Amino acid sequence: MNRSRLLKSAQEPVRAILGDRLALVGLAVLMSIIAMALFAPFLSTHAPLAVNEREEGSIFTRTLEGEQVRWEALPPLGDETLNAADYRDGLGMAVGRNGVVWRYAEGDWSRLDTPLTTTLNAVNIREDGATLVAGVRGTVALWTPDDSWRTYDMPEPMGINGIVWLDDSTALLVGGGEVIWRLDLPRGEVETLASPVGRGFDLNAVALDVDGSAWVVGDRGLALRLDPEDDSVSLERLPGNRALNHIHFADSGAGLIVGERGTLLIREDASARWQSQNAPDSRAIRAGWITDEGHAFAVGRSGIIFEREPGADWRLVPSSEERHLRALMVTDEHYFAIGSDRFVNRLAPPSGEHWFGTDHLGRDLFSQNIHGSQIALLVGFLGATLVVLIGANVGLVAGYFRGRTETVLMRTVDVMYGIPFEPFALILVLLFEPSLFIVILAVSLLTWRTVARLIRSQVLSLRERPFVKAARVAGASDLRIMYLHIFPNVMPLVFLELAIIVGVSIIAEATLSFLGLGPPQSISWGGILHNARLSGAWREAWWWNLPPGLLIMITVLSVFFISRSLELVANPRLRARR
Amino acid sequence: MAVHSESVMSSRRSYLIRRVFHGFMALFIIATLLFFLFRLGLPDPTAALITEGLNPEERERIRASFGLDRPIWEQYFIYLVNIVQGDFGYSFHYRAPVADIIWERLGNTMILMLPAIVLAYAVGAPLGAWLSWRRGSRADTSGIFVGLMFRSAPMFWTGMIAILIFGIGLGWLPTSGMRTLPYEATGFFDKIFTLDFLHHLILPALVVALYYLGSPLLIMRNTMLEVYGEDFIEMARAKGLPERRILYAHAARNALLPVVTQLAVTIGLAAGGQVVVEVVFSWPGLGREILNSVRTSDFPLAQASFLVMAAFVISLNLLVDILYTMLDPRVSFK
Repeated sequence: MNRSRLLKSAQEPVRAILGDRLALVGLAVLMSIIAMALFAPFLSTHAPLAVNEREEGSIFTRTLEGEQVRWEALPPLGDETLNAADYRDGLGMAVGRNGVVWRYAEGDWSRLDTPLTTTLNAVNIREDGATLVAGVRGTVALWTPDDSWRTYDMPEPMGINGIVWLDDSTALLVGGGEVIWRLDLPRGEVETLASPVGRGFDLNAVALDVDGSAWVVGDRGLALRLDPEDDSVSLERLPGNRALNHIHFADSGAGLIVGERGTLLIREDASARWQSQNAPDSRAIRAGWITDEGHAFAVGRSGIIFEREPGADWRLVPSSEERHLRALMVTDEHYFAIGSDRFVNRLAPPSGEHWFGTDHLGRDLFSQNIHGSQIALLVGFLGATLVVLIGANVGLVAGYFRGRTETVLMRTVDVMYGIPFEPFALILVLLFEPSLFIVILAVSLLTWRTVARLIRSQVLSLRERPFVKAARVAGASDLRIMYLHIFPNVMPLVFLELAIIVGVSIIAEATLSFLGLGPPQSISWGGILHNARLSGAWREAWWWNLPPGLLIMITVLSVFFISRSLELVANPRLRARR
Repeated sequence: MAVHSESVMSSRRSYLIRRVFHGFMALFIIATLLFFLFRLGLPDPTAALITEGLNPEERERIRASFGLDRPIWEQYFIYLVNIVQGDFGYSFHYRAPVADIIWERLGNTMILMLPAIVLAYAVGAPLGAWLSWRRGSRADTSGIFVGLMFRSAPMFWTGMIAILIFGIGLGWLPTSGMRTLPYEATGFFDKIFTLDFLHHLILPALVVALYYLGSPLLIMRNTMLEVYGEDFIEMARAKGLPERRILYAHAARNALLPVVTQLAVTIGLAAGGQVVVEVVFSWPGLGREILNSVRTSDFPLAQASFLVMAAFVISLNLLVDILYTMLDPRVSFK
């Protein structure tokens, strides 16, 4: 019978919520947030703290504003990394991952249909526009301007890194494991040339010198020269022993070789010696270009771009974005830098892949926001339950027993009223390590005071009611009267306070996390905003600021809506006149 | 009759004395708690001050200068005496007396918070009265909705969004600090009565005001609804007074008490309650100072800031009680 009375006291608030439209909306919203927290791992599209990378066919163009050189990103060419590019007489070609080939003609890029699916690393155009492409696992194919493809079989599935036309019908291919192949295109025959080193070093690039000989560069500073007159391959001595990635010759005979750790070698003209040059940055340089006048360019990892005026030092030039660059393509009007390997997808605006964009470390913000609901609700409900448990009991005991008990308890409440919340939490964190426990402790230690006061004043009037007196006369114990007779009557107030304090706790948690006092390595809405502020990028990245705040707002708002309908139960005087 | 009013007067006086005494007791207890909390959490508060490679004698000298070589009860006693004398010690970080720093920061906080809260109540209370009069209407619902919305949005977030829109997007208002730097203020009034300062004040003050708006609005509305049921309203209606006059001259005046109470409590909490606004707007107030002192482990400053805030809250709560006894003759002095 007593249990049924308790049940009945809980029934009324439920009925109040169901009868109020705003409260129902609030309940529905709150339920979805709870579902969000429970099913966070299934709902989130990415691991919330994983760094996300992405790939694209990045392309930059060199711009001049007065004296100021700057490389501007153009709209990317597709989603695949581009590894190499070549240009000749109005036709440009760029090749990349998944057998992707892009054609540049009359200022426009278009993607060619190819029969290839493997990664392409090399491309070279013949005078008439016929283009050879080559890549991993011995892939070699010829494209002719009538848009037809022919593929060639290689003797071994070695990766090919460099390709160059020796004349109209033969091409030289170099690649991993020190392979040097001469391809006779009309016959489709491959001849293997022996390297004088023969230690299986990777060869990375090949280029034709003005005298008709072919230069090959590769790992450990290896440089070979093939004399097509007598088919002899000789070893060339170059300064340095870093891996060399690319080689280019101008028609004047000027040459540029680039390599790992900022390696830059320049030959001023056909008869000069190769000179090592100081690079302004020691990252890997992937491609270089030198003009007849000796004006040189080099690009590499992490978006570095160097330029050098003839005879001057190399200098870093700015670019609009940071991408790994792998090739240079120089046309009659433009300088293009082409990339990119996978790069960290920093501060990306919302897209199909990242619905709420990414943060400064490339982490998916949608997943972070989804996971953030867990801490908000945990602190909200756990904190509020704790608060109401403490507050209701203190109020009940103080109001029922009165006298000295009441004085002591209520003086304690007075002291609690003198403690400002945020500074108190700050002090707690100063003295102890930040943790979820401290957050909940700070929230609950300082909010039970209101509940205690409210419950006490209600109990004060209830204890003088006839039903309490009757129970006392019937011999009921104090505990029985307090919890079975009085408590059900303050239930509406308890529920009301519970709802309000859930909202207060959620805001309090967000506030502490925003100040950087939340537990480290946890994800919360306040924490997301803390990161945004700390990184400084929040001034531009609206997608970073907006969702966590909105989520906090609608969660707390939904709780407040529910609390408003509970208010009617706790204070029926409001109901009559609503 | 005279005898009766005299007894009321004396019981009121003794009530006030008791309340003031309770206030001091609460402050004393908070000071004590704070002292032992700090000793518990930071057994050696000078750790942040003592750099590596300092020789033991030097270290002892520093400890002694803070009185840390004495027994704990003696330290506690000195601490209490110092507080009573208004001596809060020396800041590690600023290398200046804590009291000077705190008074300045408290002033900065109050010139932000007071106008903001007053604005919120000056707008919120009449609005709440009006909503209660139009109860159940669309205006009522949307008024409540907007009030609750700003109450639900964390203040630091509203601040960030306000900065994004009005500071960065539109470029209308400055977004950080109290004035354009460099600036040399010669006095407190010189400091605040400048256009530049007011310009800096607008955005943070509006954000704070919007947050607090919902509170007077809802309290006023709900109290008004209760007041409408009272006999004297029926009486006024029976007299044939116009509704508007009943609303503002009779009902609103009587519903104002809880709003005034809440106003005082809010001002009390405002002294240290809004760390986040000061952080977001780089406002050099007491709240930001306590955060900085926590970050730099400047424990004398943290301890004293907290105590000053607590004293502020307690005094305002006391003021509320006194206001109550003066404004509502029905309150009994038990």
